[in-house]
Amino acid sequence: MAIFVVAAAGILAWKPSALIYGVQRAGLYAAVAIPMALVLGIVHIVNLAHGEFMMIAAYAAYFAARLLGLDPFLALLPVALVMAGFGLAVYLATVKHAMKAPELNQLILTFGIAIALSQSVNLAFTSQSWKLSLAYVSASATVGELSFGVFDFVYAGIAIILAVGLRLFLTRTRFGKAALAVGENPRGAAIVGINVDRTYALVFALSVALVGAVGSVFLARQAIFPNVGGPYTMKSFCLVAMAGVGNITGVLFCSLALGLSESLINSIRGYAGWSNIVFFLIIIVTILVRSLRERKS
Amino acid sequence: MSRAVRWIVPVVALAVAALFPLAAGPYPLAVARSVLTYMALAMSWDLLLRSGQISFGIAGFFGIGAYTAALSALHLGLPPVLSIVAAGVVAAALAAVLGLVILRLRTVYFAITTLALAEIFRVIMQNGGDASGGPEGLVMPSLIFNGEAKALYWTSLAAVLLSGTVSALFQRSRARLALTAIRNNELSARSSGIHIFTWLMIAFVSSSFLQGIVGGIQLQEYGFASPDSVFDSYYTLLPLAMALLGGTYSTPGPVVGALLLGVAAEYLKLKIPYGHLVVYGIIIVLVILLMPRGLYGVYRGQVKAWAGRPGVDRG
Repeated sequence: MAIFVVAAAGILAWKPSALIYGVQRAGLYAAVAIPMALVLGIVHIVNLAHGEFMMIAAYAAYFAARLLGLDPFLALLPVALVMAGFGLAVYLATVKHAMKAPELNQLILTFGIAIALSQSVNLAFTSQSWKLSLAYVSASATVGELSFGVFDFVYAGIAIILAVGLRLFLTRTRFGKAALAVGENPRGAAIVGINVDRTYALVFALSVALVGAVGSVFLARQAIFPNVGGPYTMKSFCLVAMAGVGNITGVLFCSLALGLSESLINSIRGYAGWSNIVFFLIIIVTILVRSLRERKS
Repeated sequence: MSRAVRWIVPVVALAVAALFPLAAGPYPLAVARSVLTYMALAMSWDLLLRSGQISFGIAGFFGIGAYTAALSALHLGLPPVLSIVAAGVVAAALAAVLGLVILRLRTVYFAITTLALAEIFRVIMQNGGDASGGPEGLVMPSLIFNGEAKALYWTSLAAVLLSGTVSALFQRSRARLALTAIRNNELSARSSGIHIFTWLMIAFVSSSFLQGIVGGIQLQEYGFASPDSVFDSYYTLLPLAMALLGGTYSTPGPVVGALLLGVAAEYLKLKIPYGHLVVYGIIIVLVILLMPRGLYGVYRGQVKAWAGRPGVDRG
């Protein structure tokens, strides 16, 4: 924590805009990664189609906006519901049958689902990118001499709502507690009468619904195209791995660290192209350190 | 399968493949060349998979091979054939250095890291400025063998022959036992005295070497490398789907898969310019769910079941 505060203060003094954009970026990363952390923590499936579900939801929200005139924020709930159904269907048709298969097969399976989803969209709507032009996304604020866009703070808000909401859900509600128990020890949970299969299916559907809601908001600002979700799958997994499986609050802090370092590189003139590589390098090092530590213990 | 069949089938297949250009027109030849490229990549991917480690980074080492061939030919003046060898050697050396670290990772951690590495390689080449040609990439002044179609085909066939030989050697030596043991259970493999890290390194370096060679050949045959072309996820997706469909942990499996899907790919590419890759996604899903051992695995199961029946002469 202390390191974060010191680092943030340092960046604020040196490049205040990098701090703002870093927090905004971190919010988006965390909002997408948290639903993945949920599935990984409870169903123990690495869903390599995670970002693709977000992409599908963004397309659904796009049609809601174009055909029904729904604002992405109004479409959020219906899109989330539709995505829950879609997620459930995908789970029942595919992932469910691989729950007892080797981990390698599960990975390849969700990789295949990711390709099938992104390429179906490519097939139906080509790879052209689509974008809504909403007036409110360009809202800006001025503090002193610094002027910046404020819309993207909405991602940080969503990330915090997701983190807090899931925490309450998992510790306070009956279903949430049962899900947590299944995540900790499926066999034990089954012995005390929890329906493990149903819990897996519902948690998977919930995660797809949540990332679907994020996808709807994502559309408000970003351009969408069939491959828009892929990088988010990878980044989400990396964040979840950094935070440690099951640690949702940790995802927030890891996103912050990555968002800040990325936007810092971006703010240095001539080095913007390298920001992706910094992200991956940090992540590889962290995964290594973490996995080595896990193996020792 | 009797010993004779085991030798006759590959020899006949190779003879047919080698004589193919004498009968085929330019278009079938070009299609066959791309099938061979994916076939070699599929076999190289399967090689590492046998150890239980899945790589999503085929395109990474393939691209490194292509760039190495281009840079070594342009700047060091290496003749084309040597630049292809250099491509393999550099990809293998890079894999050895990276392997020191990433081969300590397992399953999904390893898989994601290989995916990230491919992306890192791409970003490096994209931002490399004049040294790497930047986003526009590098263009060769001429093609290998002056672009003579038959010679290009035989060059690709050589890559398949090399990959197949390495794959078969692994399958018929102690390597197979070691890798299978590691895949099934690391703990019991270790207690049987198998040095896990060494074997993983051998598999990873060999597999990357082959991918580098294929990348180098691709560069010399098409005369062009750019970050978006040689690091295209296409080069990861297709070989992966081919090996899965044909049957993993075997040498014939990826060959069969590449033949089927490679020809299909060409047809689909013409019919459906956008999104024909959806077929690969669906095939991957179906194979994992319905036929995890692939076509060759099913065939082998059938043969075994038949040979195991009472009253069958197994001479």
